[in-house]
Amino acid sequence: MNRKDFIYRAGMAGMSLPFLNATGAAAQTTKAKSVINIFLNGGLSQYDSFNVEVDKPVLGKSTIIKSNVDGVRVSNYYPKLAKQMDQLLVLNAMKTNQGAHPAGIYKMLTSYNPRSTVTHPELGAWVNKCLTTERDSLPNFVSIGSGRAGSAGFFPGQWAALPVKNPDKGIDFVKRSESVGEKAFKNRLNILDSLNKDFAKDFGSKDTRSYVDTYAGSLKFMNSNDIDAFELNTENPNIVNLYDKSDFSRSCLLAGRLVERGVRFVKVNLGGWDYHDGIYEKMPANANKLDSGLSSLLTHLSQKGLLESTLMVVSTEFGRKPEVNPNRGRDHHPDGFTCLMAGAGVKAGQIYGSTSKDGKHADQDVLDVTDFNATIAWRLGIDPEFEENSASGRPFKLANKGKARKELFG
Amino acid sequence: MNMRFLMTWMVVGLCVSASRTPAAEPPAVDVGRKTASMPVDVSTFTQEIDQLVADELKRLNQEQRPEIDDYTFCRRIYVDAIGRIPTIDELDRFITDDQPDKRAQLIDKLLNSNGYNSHWYNYWADLLRVKDVGDKLHHSGNYSEWIKDAVRRNKPYNEMAHELINASGELYKPGNGATGFYAREPMPLDHLANSVKTFMGMSIECAQCHDHPYEDWTQQDFYKLAAFTSKTHLRVDPLPKKEKATYAKDRRILKQKDFDEWIVYRESIRVKHASIYGNGTGYMRLPHDYQYKDGKPHDVMTADVLFGKMPTMNYQMSKEKLESLPKNQFGPGINARRSMANWMTSAENPMFTKATVNRLWRKIMGTELIGQLGGLTLEAMGNHPALTKKLISIMKASKYDTKVFLSAVFNSRTYQSKALVLSDTPPPYVLDGPAVRRLEAEVIVDSFLSLKTETPDKYVATEFRWDGFTHFYDKSRDFTVKDFVDYSIKGPGRGRFQNREEREAMKRNGDMGPKELWRVSTFGRNYKRHWMAMLLGKSNRELIDEANQEPDIPQILFLMNGLGIPDDALIYHKLSSATNHREKMELIWKAILGRLLKDSEEPLFENTPEDLMWALLNSNEFKFVK
Repeated sequence: MNRKDFIYRAGMAGMSLPFLNATGAAAQTTKAKSVINIFLNGGLSQYDSFNVEVDKPVLGKSTIIKSNVDGVRVSNYYPKLAKQMDQLLVLNAMKTNQGAHPAGIYKMLTSYNPRSTVTHPELGAWVNKCLTTERDSLPNFVSIGSGRAGSAGFFPGQWAALPVKNPDKGIDFVKRSESVGEKAFKNRLNILDSLNKDFAKDFGSKDTRSYVDTYAGSLKFMNSNDIDAFELNTENPNIVNLYDKSDFSRSCLLAGRLVERGVRFVKVNLGGWDYHDGIYEKMPANANKLDSGLSSLLTHLSQKGLLESTLMVVSTEFGRKPEVNPNRGRDHHPDGFTCLMAGAGVKAGQIYGSTSKDGKHADQDVLDVTDFNATIAWRLGIDPEFEENSASGRPFKLANKGKARKELFG
Repeated sequence: MNMRFLMTWMVVGLCVSASRTPAAEPPAVDVGRKTASMPVDVSTFTQEIDQLVADELKRLNQEQRPEIDDYTFCRRIYVDAIGRIPTIDELDRFITDDQPDKRAQLIDKLLNSNGYNSHWYNYWADLLRVKDVGDKLHHSGNYSEWIKDAVRRNKPYNEMAHELINASGELYKPGNGATGFYAREPMPLDHLANSVKTFMGMSIECAQCHDHPYEDWTQQDFYKLAAFTSKTHLRVDPLPKKEKATYAKDRRILKQKDFDEWIVYRESIRVKHASIYGNGTGYMRLPHDYQYKDGKPHDVMTADVLFGKMPTMNYQMSKEKLESLPKNQFGPGINARRSMANWMTSAENPMFTKATVNRLWRKIMGTELIGQLGGLTLEAMGNHPALTKKLISIMKASKYDTKVFLSAVFNSRTYQSKALVLSDTPPPYVLDGPAVRRLEAEVIVDSFLSLKTETPDKYVATEFRWDGFTHFYDKSRDFTVKDFVDYSIKGPGRGRFQNREEREAMKRNGDMGPKELWRVSTFGRNYKRHWMAMLLGKSNRELIDEANQEPDIPQILFLMNGLGIPDDALIYHKLSSATNHREKMELIWKAILGRLLKDSEEPLFENTPEDLMWALLNSNEFKFVK
């Protein structure tokens, strides 16, 4: 047996489904069905949000307010979430090895350092690939808002996120052009069908069939009963009124609707957190968006009974420095930043991990971003060590070397 | 051998050799001249290719595929040579031309057209992965322009590759854009693995971290190759000494004063100073976690090639001496990177030419001549080694003139054969003609231009185009520190700094035409703004060979519900002057599918032109080349 054969056979023998084995699954009483990941592109300032138990100068101009949980305090920019801290787990000792935006975002979303010889799938793409079944009529990875859409990395493109740039406009081009009536559209499809059949006689191949199939799939999607999941105007006004009218809040509303329909992984992008200067002038508006949108979404999910089965995570590529710089901003800080979790049996109403009091380092219960991703996958019932090969045959694990931190769940 | 083909070869041989000018070493920013090549006889090459293919077909007792008609040929050659379908007029002109050598003439015309420069820029820019990379290659415009210039000049490919591998100096100096190839890479060892894949078609990246699992390359082989490039590095700020003596004081003052002013100061100085330094010491050290028995972590490795002849090196420090120095020492620079470029791009390198012809064949024929683009081995010669050898010898004899190579293939009966469907059970021999393929993303988008205007290639650049950074580099040639400070203080902040320079550069370039009539290539480094091309599978240039030709739901939804041909498009203009319905039908068929109506398609007559155009544009026949 030569080396190539060995690798091939070893790969086949070791091939397994991504799901956790029976013992692992039994140990999990509650399992998440879906994930909503609010991603704060730019780097959330942990000291102006949810990590306030540090030396006073570290907090800059932020002040501390009480929450509805004894012993959990937050910054004054999050008054609405302060009333819902019993539903949130605060992770205050997050750590990454990347200090620049593109690399940090890449690491947080894929668990890998960016390389130029391979691109890695985002966690959402792994989830999409592992959990999609034939019965699903909606895609299982949707990315809402501008920003990195949700890359499939070395997976086939079908596992990438379906992008929804504007929550009120829904999916681009999903509706027939207004100038084309239903009858005319049907007629066009008939002509198309006859042309394609004719072409296939001489030149039909796997590739041309793939196009015919994807047209059929797209039409099914256009006409699907589930497509109205993307139409916010069909939502019950009582739910709509939980939210304000900002794009981000509307995106959260859409995310809630999508998990209600069973979509497995929804990413909601909220960018603009890179405040190197004038942080206290510029940040409050953005903090207010997060405070409103997230608190409404938590209420939405609770009211619908979806919070038990939905793992909510708020993440960012890194945090910001404990010092306020001469331009009254804060620079990048990868060693000790903050993310949030809610739902799916997470130990809510608690703070996990802490930084040193001077805010310079992650100190207790440090959680690497790869462990963070492994934990999310594990909670969905996916083995974080599940492995797939890139095009050139290099094996990659879902969460790199990350290990699930099971103690975050009750 | 019939007379028509013989004539074809003769004419093309003449045309190609006549279009060259004498040899000269191009200066840095002199653009637009053609690089010379020796007069070569393309017709002989073409004949040799066809003969080998015919021999192999005979040996396998496989029938020759039928020759394609003029309509099929016209659409195919436009797509493969210049990256878009022909306009109605271009098609009509070719069809009504009654000269016996009209195919050869068209090939020659297209290979020397603006359209060629557009289409083949896309090819190289994908292979060389032109893109902005964070704080490494902040702006890839100069890199993009360097490639466009090389395509316009028809710079021999081996020279082009050598310049890319050996590039150094300032990133934004006009004409020095080859530096982008190194600067776009976040990590030096990845860069080396990618260079090997780009120029030699081999995949050795596994050996970066461990012995290659199923090829012969060991981690030590990789580090010996890396020794050629050691101590090469990109620095975006001025060198520390210059920084301290010249810029540091004001940098500190501005940083305390105002964020926007400080950052414009920093960025503008970087535009001037970002450079690649170092040219390889010929020594490398094993990584700190080296695990094999043949060496210890930090052991000194002397440069060695993976195979073939070791180039001469001019060592100035012995290995023993270096071993006695601390482990962060790699020895003095000795231009080892140039030695590696000499080895990598040499005609004697067994992989360089082989990888090149494999890649070009795949591009225009859609089949694998030898193997996967990035997965070749030393031994592999493909299913038809004699043809592979011949194509390699053509490439060498033409002195790496891509146009001569393309001309030789395009003029062959082999290329002009009926397209093959690559099914699960292909015939024994598949190199006797092109395969049916989906058009590349840029080709589909650029083909919409052929419906819109009679001159789809009008706005392809014919000379160097300034961008924000090269423009600023140029205008700040005589800037003093005070000028930089003044510039920053008046500056409008980081984001708008770049925009302002872009606007000035645009003015300097003069009229570039309306964006809706630009070919995708004209977007250059800003290709990501071309969402339509991205939707159709354009490479995002993170990796080599990342473009795809696959459908997905967002793409199909766009084609069905979002694709619009504007009212003032050429096709509507033509339709309005047609006198009857049949004439309209014929125009639509010619414009979109490049052919006449079939009798069997007459029942479609009852439909409106709008419905028919929609159906044709959504059809597989439009999206595929046959």
